[in-house]
Amino acid sequence: MITLSMSRLTVVNPGVFTTIQDSGRFGFGKYGVPVSGAMDVESFKLANQLVGNPHHYPVLECTLQGGLYRFDSDAEIAITGAEMNPVVNGKLIEMNCTHRISKGDELILGFAEKGCRSYLAIFGLLQADKIMESYSTYTLAGFGGYSGRALKKNDILKWEPTAKVEFSHETLKPIDLDKVPNVKVTLGTEWEWLDKKIQEQFFDSNFKVMNQSNRMGIRLDGRALKSPDQQMISSPVIPGIIQLPENGKPIILMKDGQTIGGYPRIAKVVDDDLWKLAQLKPGNSLSFRKVM
Amino acid sequence: MSKLLQLNRENWKVSQLGECAILMELEQEGYQTAKVRKVLNVLESVTINHLIDIIPAYHSIALLFKSPVNLHLVSELLAGINWNDKKNSQPQKYEVPVCYDLGLDWAEVEDFTQIEKAQIVETHSSQVYTVAMMGFVPGFIFLEGLDSSLACARKSNPRTSVPKGSIGIGGQQTGIYSLESPGGWQIIGRTPLSFFDVESNPPIKLQPDDKLIFKAISKDVFDHFEYE
Repeated sequence: MITLSMSRLTVVNPGVFTTIQDSGRFGFGKYGVPVSGAMDVESFKLANQLVGNPHHYPVLECTLQGGLYRFDSDAEIAITGAEMNPVVNGKLIEMNCTHRISKGDELILGFAEKGCRSYLAIFGLLQADKIMESYSTYTLAGFGGYSGRALKKNDILKWEPTAKVEFSHETLKPIDLDKVPNVKVTLGTEWEWLDKKIQEQFFDSNFKVMNQSNRMGIRLDGRALKSPDQQMISSPVIPGIIQLPENGKPIILMKDGQTIGGYPRIAKVVDDDLWKLAQLKPGNSLSFRKVM
Repeated sequence: MSKLLQLNRENWKVSQLGECAILMELEQEGYQTAKVRKVLNVLESVTINHLIDIIPAYHSIALLFKSPVNLHLVSELLAGINWNDKKNSQPQKYEVPVCYDLGLDWAEVEDFTQIEKAQIVETHSSQVYTVAMMGFVPGFIFLEGLDSSLACARKSNPRTSVPKGSIGIGGQQTGIYSLESPGGWQIIGRTPLSFFDVESNPPIKLQPDDKLIFKAISKDVFDHFEYE
């Protein structure tokens, strides 16, 4: 009997919040299932491209601090997104390029010095729970990815070899973290419900990202925006929609966000700028600019 | 910016929800489950290029596409569909066993409604409910038809975890948490039925406008419940 030994690594320290994510779970919104998937799609795709994986393959999404991983097999890896000063066996390695890792090597991803989320891609197909056609972890309901949860100490990740993808037209570039605070939006379906003055206040304000922000939504602090008097009937929402609850503090829905919401949808962050939201840390500030 | 369309003799407002998403809203507000279901049935029976998801709600439907779409083109496309619901799928009726003794918030609910538990159970289990929509969290089933005497404010401190199968009251509505999840509704019972199976496709068989009735069962029946 032939046993195929799969490549593997051991999670020595899982960091703050590390999950397996792919391009997302589509077609199940009618059952209340969010799309999930990588928060910063640009960095996610780049990580896969750098190691020669198809763009949609599952990777590790590390939040705020990446953790410590011991490779029990040789591997080819790439790290993109937030600047976490990756170190292999004590030596600093570069972000946004491909590295060969040898069996026994230890990779440390530190605190996110700039940005919030990093992506660690390994050449091959990560072994994870595929639920509703996606490997993405959705921790709220506990399914997908690594047993539906964030990684823990002593977890073992395995991957199987796949064919290398040749990217002849390299169009993806690393994200520019300096662009994060300026976010482009279109007006939302309930924008007209706001008073003129509140509409102006929205675009003139500097908002601050609150601690309670996560993969479901980014909560913003700032001078409260007076919410409209009209009563909203719960209606569908998608990632990027900015809701205005009664307390006047906007919430931007993200990848694990609910499918139906009961607050006015005052604006929508354009899809091309969703990666910026993924890279905002609690305490960071941002402002909005209208595009047509 | 929005467009008005008359589909199936109903007025729908169509607008852009995002670059890749279109929102259809009935002009007439409130619970419009049967009308939403009719449109949903037709949308699911026709082929629309690049459409990847349809999310129905009380009086609205979102169409999600794989790539950016143009409001004018989608409006024209919708206007060109034959809205006679040929499939004419009838709503299904389900009986849902509930152990009301597994409710977690009886004291609060009795206090708020000023009605005793036995009477609440009697009233709650003698109505026919309509599935309005599923959402908020996976498999959360919003039901219409709660007797107005049972309306009850949501919990001021939502639970971080509500057990799978919990039956709750939130404001004027009742609903089922088909998976364990956070939640702020008052929990008055639990069903041993499993509605949501993450390993199946579709993960849930219910559709908007399906009818549910609750049947009270004892703790003993709940514990020994046999799945068909």
